[in-house]
Amino acid sequence: MIAEISDLQFSYGPIKALDGISLILSDGAVGLLGPNGAGKSTLLRILLGFLAPQHGRGRVLGYDIRLEQSSIRRHVGYMPEDDCLIPGMDAVTFTAHFGELSGMPRQEAMKRAHDVLFYVGLGESRYRLLETYSAGMKQRLKLAQAIVHDPRLLFLDEPTSNLDPQGRKEILELILDISSKKDIQVLISSHILTDIESVCSDVVILNKGRLAAQGKLSELRELQYRLYEIRIKGEGEGFTAKIRALGCRVEETEDKLLKVYVPADMDIREIFRTAEEEKSQVRHFVRSRTSLEDLFARVVGVD
Amino acid sequence: MTIREKGYAHWDGQLKERRFPWAPITWLGIRLAFKKKAFRGLFFGSLLYAFGSLVLIFISERIEDFQYMFKGNKQILEVNPAYFKTYLSSDFLLFMMVMLLVIGGAGLISDDLKHNSLQLYFARPLKKMGYLIGKANVIAFFLLLLTLVPGLLFIVFKLLFAGNFSFLAAYPWLPLSVIGYSLFVTGFFCAYTLLLSSLSKNRRYVSILIFAVYLFSNILFGFFYENYKKPVYALLSLNANIQQVSAWFFRLKPAYAVPWYWSLLILLAFGIAASLVLNRKVRGVEVVR
Repeated sequence: MIAEISDLQFSYGPIKALDGISLILSDGAVGLLGPNGAGKSTLLRILLGFLAPQHGRGRVLGYDIRLEQSSIRRHVGYMPEDDCLIPGMDAVTFTAHFGELSGMPRQEAMKRAHDVLFYVGLGESRYRLLETYSAGMKQRLKLAQAIVHDPRLLFLDEPTSNLDPQGRKEILELILDISSKKDIQVLISSHILTDIESVCSDVVILNKGRLAAQGKLSELRELQYRLYEIRIKGEGEGFTAKIRALGCRVEETEDKLLKVYVPADMDIREIFRTAEEEKSQVRHFVRSRTSLEDLFARVVGVD
Repeated sequence: MTIREKGYAHWDGQLKERRFPWAPITWLGIRLAFKKKAFRGLFFGSLLYAFGSLVLIFISERIEDFQYMFKGNKQILEVNPAYFKTYLSSDFLLFMMVMLLVIGGAGLISDDLKHNSLQLYFARPLKKMGYLIGKANVIAFFLLLLTLVPGLLFIVFKLLFAGNFSFLAAYPWLPLSVIGYSLFVTGFFCAYTLLLSSLSKNRRYVSILIFAVYLFSNILFGFFYENYKKPVYALLSLNANIQQVSAWFFRLKPAYAVPWYWSLLILLAFGIAASLVLNRKVRGVEVVR
């Protein structure tokens, strides 16, 4: 178990950033999703021990988030979203420096810096000045400094931002390798849903400071709703209105294909009954594989 | 570029709680400062002044051999507390110290602000105080090498050259004065530099600011003092305030007829301002945006 939090509340003045969140983050790679202002950053700040919650309690890797912040930071690796570097340094010195700050002996940190830089693909350029690094190299460097002290848990904040498709693919491969084969738990906060989908087995979706959904991605897809693609002959406005009234969420694509999110407890035959009542002819009815994007749109309530 | 040229292996060591968590920051800062040619040049140039002063101490003990050089000017070779005060608070040394801060100290915090590295520091088991101590120690290391170390060496060499302890017997409090003044002036410059370094993300602006505040305060003092002849204007100058306080440390009469503790209060105000500003500017909570 990565972390366990219970009834967590935090406000910035009158604005409630987290409103009674309780969750258990299981092992493996967990994706943290939510629209802007959902409370993701605040949750990460609290898990990293930077903010003390105003209410509730929690533990990260077994350490209390109120009392053992230093221990949490010692065993957690953090890869921030922004470019971070210290000018005038090469990658080896930079990575070893943060290893030392985490509590590694100096020589060990230096040895380890070489290893992790090779691992993230910066072996050849490890003695170059950091200012000369490309965006992709800086991203790898941030990953290297986050894993140099061999953390038990990695917090990755938008790990693929500013990367070209190839760079993104390689970073995701690394994250997948770390989370699946290296016994390091990973918590990824990202806006790129396909990244989360390709790396994470579990997701946490926050919305307006509250927990909107949490669990195994595969189970959530099944439990929350079923997605059908329907094409009907004619305008079908009455049909659409009626199935919306039944509790379905309906999206219409440009080529008149209806994407219908059917609630878990609704009998699918209701759709056909409605079509019959509206004298609409169903030409196409296929159950679609739901993506994380669909799930996100559904639980957060946005397109 | 291929990835995973080498596989990831777990580290079999154990992460330890450091007694001085700021030590890596200090050593890195010292190494980075010494990488700069201009800094090295200035630093060793400043040490030449100490070397010159040491030579004068030697000459003072062999005055008979050097009489032809110092006809009628023997008083400049008199090694007493004033000699130490002259070295430690000389315009030249203070100017060189400010120049070292301009080149080596300006980026200490501003670079971290500009390149977002604060979040990396505070994602480690490091507190704000540890971070600031680590940064301040970089400045302290160099300034103490220019003040405390030469000051104490002067006393040691004076005793060695004299071959007796009469100098120390005459001024038994002098080592404490050297230590106290060196720590004070170093502490002031640490606060001064870190305060200004945290005000901007641009290292060049900070460099200009460090130099300009020091210079402008002297110009302001010079202007008012020349026009109105009131010693109270010495309080406007950082240099003059340091001189006033140094006079107290070495039990000498201050150069200006203003109580030394007013100068002390003004210099301490920089320390208070630094602690307030740094507390606001250096925030671990910016780790996640």
